[in-house]
Amino acid sequence: MSSPATELHQMAAVGRLLAGIVHEINTPLGSIFSNNEVISRSLEMLVPLIEQGTPEALGRAGKIVAGCQSLAAVDRIACERIRSVIRGLKSLSRVDGSEPRKVDLNQQLLDTVKLTQTEFRRRIAVETDLGELPEVDCYPQMLNQVFLNLLMNAGQAIEGEGCIRIRTHRENGMVHISISDSGPGMSPEAQVRAFEPGFTTKPVGEGTGLGLPISREIVVDKHGGTIDFESRPGMGTTFHIRIPLEQKKRSAP
Amino acid sequence: MSPNGSNGKPSILIVDDEEMVIASIRAFLQLETDYQIHGFTDAEEAARFTESHRVDVAVSDYLMPKMNGIQLLARVKEKQPEASRVLLTGHADKQSAIQAINQVSLFQYLEKPWDNAQLLLVIESGAERARLFRDLRDKVEQLGAANSSLKDVQKRLIEAFL
Repeated sequence: MSSPATELHQMAAVGRLLAGIVHEINTPLGSIFSNNEVISRSLEMLVPLIEQGTPEALGRAGKIVAGCQSLAAVDRIACERIRSVIRGLKSLSRVDGSEPRKVDLNQQLLDTVKLTQTEFRRRIAVETDLGELPEVDCYPQMLNQVFLNLLMNAGQAIEGEGCIRIRTHRENGMVHISISDSGPGMSPEAQVRAFEPGFTTKPVGEGTGLGLPISREIVVDKHGGTIDFESRPGMGTTFHIRIPLEQKKRSAP
Repeated sequence: MSPNGSNGKPSILIVDDEEMVIASIRAFLQLETDYQIHGFTDAEEAARFTESHRVDVAVSDYLMPKMNGIQLLARVKEKQPEASRVLLTGHADKQSAIQAINQVSLFQYLEKPWDNAQLLLVIESGAERARLFRDLRDKVEQLGAANSSLKDVQKRLIEAFL
């Protein structure tokens, strides 16, 4: 799973995400810088007011303190925001070991969603309907890559505002994950060629045409699962992924 | 133009879908200036505000849910041609800057995280620029009025002597 083409695709996807992440971090950072300066200046103003000690001066001092307190509250929100972006990034940087391990796929999905929200902002609402799942034996980092590909595709399919719906449930010995978008649906040609390496409907430089072939390789070849989709023009697209609960390599000794 | 713009203090519009940005800039401007500050997290509301209130400087984020900063600043330009338009964006994307400068003739383009000293300089000079434009428009109007009353007098003079 580390062919040059796969790496190229991964770099393109990460590059797109990074643009959103830079924005998501720079906004709270700007606030924190500004607040820090205002609070420092306010503290300088406080000293002479307290030294004066008149009721009037103390009244003004009280207002300045209240102003600083509300800016400190803004800083806390800003720091929280940065922390949640970093947390999302961490899940992208983990590397899978050579053996599959058991993970909660719902949690993997939620981590990946968090990452895409920097890109979607409030343009796209992500709705989740996550059923109770047993832990699944898999290569979680690779599956995150699949989820990321499908979510980014879904987001790019939607023009303007829209919604992405994620569902999971247990289905016999499999976990069924579906990702639907409220976009315009795929053309008949795109439906036929969707998994063809190099085929893309995105503008030059945005799509590598490798997202779906790589996703299929991960789901089908690596996990013994299935990936398919249904799409009707005007009705959006839904991708279905089915992953077996247990990997064969690990069948009971 | 506006009832609450009549006291002559510069009126600054700050639009960002993040409340924290407005809170920070407002706190800073209140410390440094006596300007009137109008903050909006909703670009549509901000656009409506400019229809009935004087704005000297409009500072807008770029990426916002309902309309982007360029669309908003275009609306501001339409309603308040004298207002100085500033884009304050965290989008590390020079394309959006170039697009904005061409479409709505921006006064300044600032990037997040912003520098307060630079922001203040931009807002102060933006407010001064807007004031000069309004003064110029008033003078031109006065000149026009004076010119037409002069013509009126001339016409009556001619009529009286002929």
